[in-house]
Amino acid sequence: MMKLWYGQIVSVVRLEMKKTFFSKRGLWVYLLAFAPVVLYMVHSVYATRQRQHLAQLATEHPISQAAFNGIKTGLSRDQVVAKLGEPYWQRTRYHHGGNGKKRSFVFYRYTDGKNDVSYHFEDNKLTWIHRRDPDTLPKSQLIFATSFQFYFLRLAIFFGCVGIFVNLFRGEMLDKSLHFYMLTPMRREVLLAGKYFAGLLATVVIFTSSTALQWWAMLWQFERGVIVDFLAGPGWIQFGAYLSVTALACVGYGSIFLAVGLLFSNPIIPTAVVLLWESANPFLPPLLKKTSMIYYLQSLCPVTAPPDKNMPPLINLLISPTEPATTLTAVTCIVLLTLLVLVLASRLARKLEINYGTD
Amino acid sequence: MKNDLITLDNVSRFYGEVLGVNRVTLSMPPGITSLVGPNGAGKTTIMNLVTGLIRPTRGRIRVLGLSPTQSHKLFGLVGYATQFDAFPKGLSGFQFIYSFLRLFGYSNAECKRLANKVIEQVGLSDAAGRKVAGYSKGMRQRIRLAQALAHDPRVLILDEPLNGLDPLVRAETINLFRRYATEGRHVLVSSHVLHEVDMISDQVVLMSGGYVVAEGQIQSVRSEIQERPVKILIHCKQPSLLASKAFEQDHVVEAQLLTEGSGVLITTRDADRFYRLLNHLALSGIDIEGVTPADDNVNSVYDYLIGGEEKMSP
Repeated sequence: MMKLWYGQIVSVVRLEMKKTFFSKRGLWVYLLAFAPVVLYMVHSVYATRQRQHLAQLATEHPISQAAFNGIKTGLSRDQVVAKLGEPYWQRTRYHHGGNGKKRSFVFYRYTDGKNDVSYHFEDNKLTWIHRRDPDTLPKSQLIFATSFQFYFLRLAIFFGCVGIFVNLFRGEMLDKSLHFYMLTPMRREVLLAGKYFAGLLATVVIFTSSTALQWWAMLWQFERGVIVDFLAGPGWIQFGAYLSVTALACVGYGSIFLAVGLLFSNPIIPTAVVLLWESANPFLPPLLKKTSMIYYLQSLCPVTAPPDKNMPPLINLLISPTEPATTLTAVTCIVLLTLLVLVLASRLARKLEINYGTD
Repeated sequence: MKNDLITLDNVSRFYGEVLGVNRVTLSMPPGITSLVGPNGAGKTTIMNLVTGLIRPTRGRIRVLGLSPTQSHKLFGLVGYATQFDAFPKGLSGFQFIYSFLRLFGYSNAECKRLANKVIEQVGLSDAAGRKVAGYSKGMRQRIRLAQALAHDPRVLILDEPLNGLDPLVRAETINLFRRYATEGRHVLVSSHVLHEVDMISDQVVLMSGGYVVAEGQIQSVRSEIQERPVKILIHCKQPSLLASKAFEQDHVVEAQLLTEGSGVLITTRDADRFYRLLNHLALSGIDIEGVTPADDNVNSVYDYLIGGEEKMSP
């Protein structure tokens, strides 16, 4: 019997493959998944070129760190130029004040080959200094963690699973072709499992590929030695963790949206409810937090995303801090939640009727 | 209970408040059984109920002793070609048959053999490699038939199977049904045209508005319809006189004067003879203002099926 079920599941996966991977309806899933890869790649290319450019400028006009340290606000432009030489980039603007007096605003940029320093003069006096630090690996790791947890998990994988899993049943009801499965000697539970695995295969392949490419694009700008040292340290473990979290997100969200596709003719409202619940997670009390998928997924992320510095204090007060779940707890809870949803979905599948006219 | 029957016992199915079928009790032995009736009569609902695609609101169904809810057992025995003219996207005719045969648990080689065999049987060998989406209506009908036949079922259920088929294929398909029936299998077909199936059917079930209005062998169904009393409403100036004249006829069962005195409701076992009588009475001076069949249920089926056939006869 198990052999028959296995064969049926494989056959369903094969039949669904084209629809899950290459459906025109699902092209936006690829856009969601691979947009961050493009952004990381563009940033890496820009950062590498900028680094090379600054190094070249520093070679042509070397400036000592001591000279940089000697620049304070209140100095005049001539004093700054006397200490640092001519800037590699400058811009002047004039502004007419209320009393008809013309004011000048001058921007100078210098580099020591790594840092890019901007000086802002108002009426010939240095009023503001901005130092742009070079991209470092720890900084990139934090950016990756933030983007992964706040965009990739909460939006890209979430909506990707909506697009693929909801369509497994609902899409076929709309196409009026679901009954062909129902006309075969296959248990509804087996059909559900086959469709779930088909959706899982597609989402795991698409989103873990994207995670791997994002990771590679993030590292691409750094020198080989830096990358090798990082990978030899926590790098591979972090990489594995991100891939696992991606796959677990597909496992969890996939089960939810498979059930949504079975239960609801219009998946928009239930999807919005799930999205709201997942988004409200930081503000939920600890007990309720543990009933959302994102809590466990974030607990498994290897780098904690830094808090948003621009968040209004009032909203910051509403955030309820909760200890992340342990790896074992998080994985167990995601798997149990998934199994629970799949069991409920299989009950729905058993009662499913082919009644296209009312769908 | 014999296990070679398809039985429906007091089966009703409602779609919300809309009636699909009501209190249907049928027992179908092996052979060709035709469900006949106009659109909306409940033929497809019966087929979907028998195959478990929908569940009865009440009543009990058994197919060779199995409940339709046991789909994993049922569809080893049953093949169903629905009327839904939609297919999984991107598949060729061969891939369509092959892929769904795989779900029956056959080996790869067996699936290929069965798919090729059934595709040849329905005359689609040349088009087997083409995408189903590019098939004509008749070809899509045939590939659906092939899908129902592919696993060699004991019960073949076909919703309007002759629609869209050219005469040659239609004749071949009918021969196929006959062959299946002579092998002791069930062939349950639906049609909205009686003469299309009455020549091949061992049993006919006439349906209208969700009810079975007649069932049995075709001859008995014809006579059952013809003998069923029909109500006819006549508006006239002298209803009492018309009622008394009508009641003299042996085929008139009842004559009921309308309370407002504007007419009479006649119940007759022979509508044709009664209409001839009305002509006679009109000629004799009774002022008849209007004649309306008051029993749409049986009359509509009768007109639609039997009347339609008569019109088509040379």
